[in-house]
Order: sequence, then structure tokens, then C-alpha cells
Amino acid sequence: MDWALIAVVAVPVAAAAVSAVSGWRVGRAVTLACALITLALALVLALAVDGGRTLHAAHGWMRLDSLGAVFLIATGLLYAATAAFSIGYFAGHEAEHGFRGYARQYCGLFNLFAWSMVLVPIAADFGTLWVAVELTTIISALMVAIDRTDGALEASWKYVLIASCGLGIALLAVVFLYATGTTALGAAYVPRFERLFAAAGGLSDDTVRLAFVLAIVGFGTKVGFVPLHTWLPDAHSEAPAPVSALLSGSLLAAALYAILRFFQVAVITGNRAFAEHVLIVFGVVSLVAASLFVLRQSNFKRLLAYSSIEHMAIVALGVGFGAPLAVGGALLHVITHASAKGLAFLGAGSLLRRYDTKEVDGVTGAATVAPFSGPMFLAAALALSGLPLSGVFRSEFQIVSGGFASRDYVGAALLIVFVNLAFFGVVWHAGRMVLSAEDGSTERGETSWWMVAGMAGCLLVVVALGLHLPGGLEQLLADATHRLHAPMP
Amino acid sequence: MPILPDWTVQVLQVLTTLVAAPLVSGVIARAEAIVQQRRGPSVLQPYRDIAKLLHKETVLPGPAGPVFRAAPYVSFAAYATVPLLIPVLTSYGLPLGYMGDVLAGGLILGLGSFVVSLAAIDSGSPYAQLGSSRLRTFGALNEPTVIFVVFVVALTTHTDLPYVLGDTLRSSAVEVVRPSHLLVVAAFFMLVLTETGRIPVQNHGSTLEFGMIEEGRVLEHSGPGLAFLRWGSAVKQLVLFTLFANVLVVPWGLASTGALDAVVLAIVLLLAKAAAIGAAIVVIESSFAKLRLYKIPEFTVASFLLAILAVVIFLFGPDFGDARLTVFGAFATVTAVVVLLLEYGMLRSQDVWEQLRLYALGSAAVAALAFATAAAGHGGSELFVLGAVTIALKALVFPLGVRFVLRKLEVEARVPTTIGVPSSILLAVVLSAFAFVALSGVHLGVEPALPLSALPVAVAGVLVAFLLTVVRPYAPSQLVGFLVLENAVSVGSLVIAPGLPLILALLLLFDVLIGVLVFVVLVQYLAVERTVVRTDALDRLTG
Repeated sequence: MDWALIAVVAVPVAAAAVSAVSGWRVGRAVTLACALITLALALVLALAVDGGRTLHAAHGWMRLDSLGAVFLIATGLLYAATAAFSIGYFAGHEAEHGFRGYARQYCGLFNLFAWSMVLVPIAADFGTLWVAVELTTIISALMVAIDRTDGALEASWKYVLIASCGLGIALLAVVFLYATGTTALGAAYVPRFERLFAAAGGLSDDTVRLAFVLAIVGFGTKVGFVPLHTWLPDAHSEAPAPVSALLSGSLLAAALYAILRFFQVAVITGNRAFAEHVLIVFGVVSLVAASLFVLRQSNFKRLLAYSSIEHMAIVALGVGFGAPLAVGGALLHVITHASAKGLAFLGAGSLLRRYDTKEVDGVTGAATVAPFSGPMFLAAALALSGLPLSGVFRSEFQIVSGGFASRDYVGAALLIVFVNLAFFGVVWHAGRMVLSAEDGSTERGETSWWMVAGMAGCLLVVVALGLHLPGGLEQLLADATHRLHAPMP
Repeated sequence: MPILPDWTVQVLQVLTTLVAAPLVSGVIARAEAIVQQRRGPSVLQPYRDIAKLLHKETVLPGPAGPVFRAAPYVSFAAYATVPLLIPVLTSYGLPLGYMGDVLAGGLILGLGSFVVSLAAIDSGSPYAQLGSSRLRTFGALNEPTVIFVVFVVALTTHTDLPYVLGDTLRSSAVEVVRPSHLLVVAAFFMLVLTETGRIPVQNHGSTLEFGMIEEGRVLEHSGPGLAFLRWGSAVKQLVLFTLFANVLVVPWGLASTGALDAVVLAIVLLLAKAAAIGAAIVVIESSFAKLRLYKIPEFTVASFLLAILAVVIFLFGPDFGDARLTVFGAFATVTAVVVLLLEYGMLRSQDVWEQLRLYALGSAAVAALAFATAAAGHGGSELFVLGAVTIALKALVFPLGVRFVLRKLEVEARVPTTIGVPSSILLAVVLSAFAFVALSGVHLGVEPALPLSALPVAVAGVLVAFLLTVVRPYAPSQLVGFLVLENAVSVGSLVIAPGLPLILALLLLFDVLIGVLVFVVLVQYLAVERTVVRTDALDRLTG
């Protein structure tokens, strides 16, 4: 299966290369085709690593296990959905002045962005992992700025500056971890995950803890943990809708994945309780702050951005609770959140194209104006709030039960309270947008069926995961949970 | 060789200082002239000036009384007393050497300056009084700085007798390159610049009334009185140089017995050390501009805060100290401190070109550390490659490229501030102290041969780089902040993980390269679309 590892990295690069030089017509087709291939490869790879296997390629520089596969699926899923959506998102703009150059830039960067996020779960060592995460930052910063409006430039500058500084701290974490490995592994070694796990006995407790805290602060800046989240709502609200979906569903998760790798090192050196404690603290603070911000938003893209912070906090709490049920739920939440939040941002983008505003008050009667996008946006809001039938319900339910199982009553109770608070916020705003009476100023109809197709794909996944968890995925999640708690050298 | 009795050496200490002091001033003036492409006065000119003034008659201002007349002689006597107390030529204590400690020496120096201020008041001349009041205002922080400097040295050596200070440093040379000691050295050097009236505080010997401080004070003096004031200030300069060299930085090369050859050698070496310090001063005087008068406190505040930082990290810092002095260990710590101090310089600077220059300088220091690490046998020859790439990218391509783009975009080079320089330096000091305190209890579990004492300095550098991006709402400065952040992490990585495989190090650098490109593209967008690169104008997105 090594070929699939190489292919999943090569395909988005090829797409980027082709679409950066060809026109919009070829570029969009290539992008969609490559995105679908990437999704297929991600699923193939996920099946291949099921059952505790680990894939290696490129002389050990690439590696995939079940933990990485979870995040790879999330990226593949969103890459495909947003590629389809992008085609519709720019429909009707083809004739505009300067669109040719814009489309080339957009397609090239879009594929590169997806590529960098595919790279994250495939990196085999802490150095490459950091490089991949930093690549996601700088490529996506250009994507955020692509519209060159005042807001986009401001958001992009804040984003690249804050995230790069955060990653500077994460780099320090990598350096510390490397340094403490030198006693067991020699002065010069490649800090592969397995090698560090194997040398766990020779690592200094203090340094591992220090590295973990630095990693959670550094990568946490990109995950959007409060109070390091300040760039996040700006970038999510100013980027083009497909990019927002990728940022929220995939990029945040990729940064969280990097933290989980440090978590594994903490676990195998016997610092699991400490690491879980830190995760719970960051999770609770972010959850509380984000749900309060959700309540008072008037801009629906910012609303979704704060909801992303909330959901990343839920994942952190799930891992922090430590019960296998909760951790499995947290990993499932990565996939369900990716699909639900992808759906929400794509829906928001579709409404934005219809109404030409990001204000909640500017959107009225979306159910009748956009007969598919409107209801699907509402469905996304309901799914995100964890209503039954959606996959998010399943994963959040697992996390809460896991929290009670591991006797983290305070954490679990806070989780329930603030998830409900966010539920009010999201559903109240989305409900007003979709179910209110239309004011007649906006013409009815869907802008493009491609947009509906992208959203429908996401919706399908959310609902399917809510109705039935496929055996293969269940196996994968169980295996990844096991890996997280018992990292295999 | 004849052995000189103690009292002879004692007298010789004072004589050497008195005789050599004008020569040191003359050499510095001449060297400065040559560097600035002038011919300059003869190195003996200060002697000629003094001789000439001694033959002139004294003209007294109308209101002048006995204080005015006595002041030059009292101050000269004060300056001439200090060499009795400090190790000018010998490493062993001379009979009168234990009369007073470092603080006594400082107070006597202070007395010498104080009577001149009194005389200025007595003269009734507005210029003289202006000079005095300026000196008192700007010099208000000098004495606390001295006290904190003495604290650090005294904490290391458990005494503040100058002879014993030197002795302790000599017997455990590794103390000289402790981060706290290096900060003390930096603080004291800044103090020497202030006290000897050098740039950036004063234009030495300038009589331009806007910036005149020291020259203003003595404007009313003439004849022999002026001769002794001039001579006295030369002596004071040499005394400070001697303290700096023989107590703080290089307490080696002093006579350990009264043997004639050893004493002569000590005299020669003292002159050599003074010349080396003079060379540093010449470089500084030729590369920086004088600070505007109201900015001078920024400089003295910085030196004071550095001394405080030194005390804090001495008391609360981690005990990573190397057991013995190695060239490599010393080099690593010095590099880390240099990178940190350059960041302080960037915080102070309000000119983006200067910030870029300081960044290039810091990158060169990092590259030198990579070479030194490789030469010391850590990390292997791969580090030579890394050092070369570092020089090419970080010392040349980045600063020059960014400067090229900024020039092309015609952005305003003046860096705006959200908070003033002294406050930002204070914050930087707090952050640096935090880095030391945070690492103090950590057991790192790495090879003990590595120069771990440089690690907290590097971490402090990371935090100060953050500060730079926060307190300067100016896109190019924030880009520089990102770059120095990366430099500080590089120092940390060279110190504790020199074996990091080359391919990973190059990947990291590649990432930084892409990062810089993206930053530059965004600066360009900001400059073109929004016509400003000030980031405090970016305030639309909130909540």
C-alpha cells in the first residue's frame, strides 16, 4: 500500500501544478478530480491501516497509522466537498475583470493548501510534522487574503503573525523533545514518533512535560484555544467560503493532531495524568469563552468560527477525559465536526452569494429564497448543536458518557451546560435566517447546483454517521484510541 | 629582577593612572578621526592642552566663590584616590587597597562629579547650571545601576572588595560567561559610555548648546583649574576602564608579585586593555547617532534594567551552569546574550532599517555559533553547511530582500509605538526574567557537555521577540519580530540539540523562507491596497 501513501501526497501537488497554469475550466475539473481521488485514497489508506498496521514509505519519512488516518479522512472529505462547492461558488463571476488570474491563484493555492494538510498526518517525525503545520499556516494565509479587501488583509495579517508566533513556540517544543531524546538515541537522530516511543525510558519527565505545554500553547494557537484564538474568527469570516470550511474542519484538526502526537509521548513516559489535566483546562476555558461569544454574534460566519473553537474544545475535553469511550468519541468528533462544520460554512457561503451579506439580520426567509441551501444550512446548525440523527450527537454523547465514566463530573457537567448554551446561540441565529418571512428583495433560486452538490455530500456524511457507524470506522477509531493510550514503538 | 616594595607599587598604581589617562583619551580621539577619514590631533594633544592651560591665568566669573576655586582640585584629588582602591596593576591587595570597597570607590567618583556641579551653581552661569542639571537628571539612574552591578558580582563572590572580586573570577573563570555576569558587563559598559560622555549620550567634547552636558559644566573654568578638570575627567575615564577590564571582564594579566618585570608587563597590558575598550568606543561613536536629549533616559533606564535583570536571573535562574570554562560554552552563552541584547536594541529602535541591520547582525552571530558548535565537535560537519546557509539566507537574503521591497513600496521607515521605549524594555526584562524563572526547576536530561546556561537566554529571546511583534504596530517590524523569534529558537536548538539532522534543519529554514515570502507579499498588499503598513489601523474586525 506504500504507493497509496505517495499518491495521496502527489495528487494534490499535481492538481496545484496543473491548475496554477491552466485556465479556470480545466483547473476546476482537475481540482475536483484530484480531490475525489484524494478522498478515495484516504479511505483506501484508512482501510489499510485498520487492525493496528502502520504504513511506511519514502525511506521512513512518510508514515500512517490509524490515528493519522482519522485526520486524513477528515481532510479528504472536506477537500472533495469544497472542491465541488468552489465550482459553484465562482459561477457567474467568470466574466469579471481579472478573474483569470484570480482563478489560477485560487486553484493553485487551494490544492496546495489541501496538500499541506494531507502532509500533516503523514509526517513520520516531529520535525516534519512542524514543517507541515507551518506550511498549512503560510499557504492558508495567502488564501485568506485572496480577495484583497480591507477585512481580508487585516484577517490574513493577524492570522499569519499570530499563528507563526505560536508555531515558534511549538518549534521550541520540538527542540526540547529532540534534546531530551539525545541521551537515549545519540546526538544525531531523526525524531521519528516510533523511535521516541521506543526510547521512552530515557526521556526526562520534566522536559517531556515542558515540551507538551509548549506544544499545546504553540499548536493550540492554531487550534484556536482561548486565549490564543484571536485570529480565528477573523480569518474564518474573511476567507472565501470553501476556504473557511477547510480552515475550520481540517486545519484546526490538523493542529490538534500535532498536539496528540506530543500527548502520546507524554503518555508513554508516564505523564498521562498531567497531559490530560492540561487538555481539560484548555478545553474548558475555550468551551466557556466560545459558547458565550456564539450567543452575541451578528455575523454568521464569525458565529460558525466561534462554534469551531467550541468544537475543538470538545475534542480536547474528550481526549482529556481519558476513558476509551470519550477518546473514541473525540476522534469521531474530528470527522463529524469536519463534515457538519463544512456543511455549515458551505451553506453560509451559498447564502452569502444569494444575499451578499454576512450579517444575520440581512438574511431573511432563506428557506424559500434558497430552497436547498437554506434548509441545509439550518440542518447544519442543528447537526452542529448535537441533535440526534447527526453524527455530532453520537460523538458528543460518547464524550459525555466517557467523561462520567472517568468520573470527571465537573468537566462533563460544564460540557453539557455550555454545549447547550452554544446550541441556543447557533440555532437561534440560524433559525432566524432560514425560517423568517422573506422580505422579497432577494430573488429566489439556487446560485449553482455545484454548491448544492458539495453541501449534499457533507450532509450525507453527517446523517449517515448519525444513523450508523460503519464497522470499519468503528474499528479504526478503537484502534486509534488504543494507540493514543498505548503508543507502539 | 628586583622586587618592588608594596608602597612603591601603590604609588605606581596612581602614577600610572595619572600619566596614562591623557594618552588613552588622545589615542581614542585620534583613532576616531582616522575611522571618520580625518587626520585628527596627535595622540599627545591632551598633554599639550593640559600643559598649555597650566600656564594660563585664571579668570573667575563675578559671583564665583571659594567653592568654584576649590572644585577642580577637589575633584581631581577624588579621581586620583580611586586607583588606590582598585586592582590597577596587581592582583594581590596592596596596603591601602582595603581602605574601601567598590561602593566606596563609586562614592568617591561621585564626589568628584558632585563638586563640579556645586562649582557650576557657584559660577552663576546659566550654561554651567544647565549642564549640571542635565547631568543630575540623566545620571539619576547611574548610581542604582552601579549598586545592582555590584550586587551581582558580590553575590557571586560574597564580597565587594575589588581585589577579591577579581581573585574569585580568576579562580573560576566560568563565572565570567554566566548569563547574569554578561548582562552585568553590558550594563556596566553602557554606564561607562554615559559616565565618560560618549555617544549615544553626549557628543564627546562638543560645545553645541543643545546637547552639551559635561562641557557645559566646566564652561566657566579656565587656566590651571580647567587643566585639572580636563585631566581629572581623563583619569576618571581610565579608572572606569580599569574597573571594567580588571574587575569585570578580564581580570588576568595583573602582577601577582612585586617583581619589576611583572609590574611593567601589567602596565603594558593595562594600556592594551584600555586600547581595546577604546576601540569598541570608537566603533560605537562612529556607527550611532547621538540620542536626542529627552531620549537619553531611555539609555540609562535600559542599563539599569539590565542590571536588575542580572540580579533576578542570578537569584532565581536555573542552575544549568557548566562546571568549567570551555571556549565553546563561553561562545554559546555570549552569542545567546548578544542575540538577546540585539532584540532589546530592536525594541528601542524606531527605524526599520536599523532593525533590519540588527537582525542581520544577530543572524551572523547565530551562524558563528553554528560554526563554533561544529568546531567543538558537537553535531558534526553538517553544522558548517547549516552555518553557511544561515549566513546566506538570514544575514543577507532576508534583510536585503525585505529592505529592497520596503524601499520599492516607499513605506514610511519610522516605526510607530504603542508603548514607549522604557516601558517596552521593562516588559522585555520581565519576560526575560520569567524565562529564567520558568526553566529554573527543570531537569533537562540532555548531554551535560552542552552549554546549557545559554538555553534560558534563548528562551528569553523567544519571549522578547513576541513583545516586539506586540508593541510595534508596524507590519515590517512584526516581520522582523517573526525573524528574530526564529533566530532565538535557532540558538536554543544549537545549544541543546546540535545534532538535529541537517535535512530537518534545512526543512525548517525552507519553511521560514516561504514564511518570509508570504509576509512580504502581505506587506505589499497592505502597502498597495491600504496605503499604510501600520497595523494599528487594522481594527475593523473585532468581537
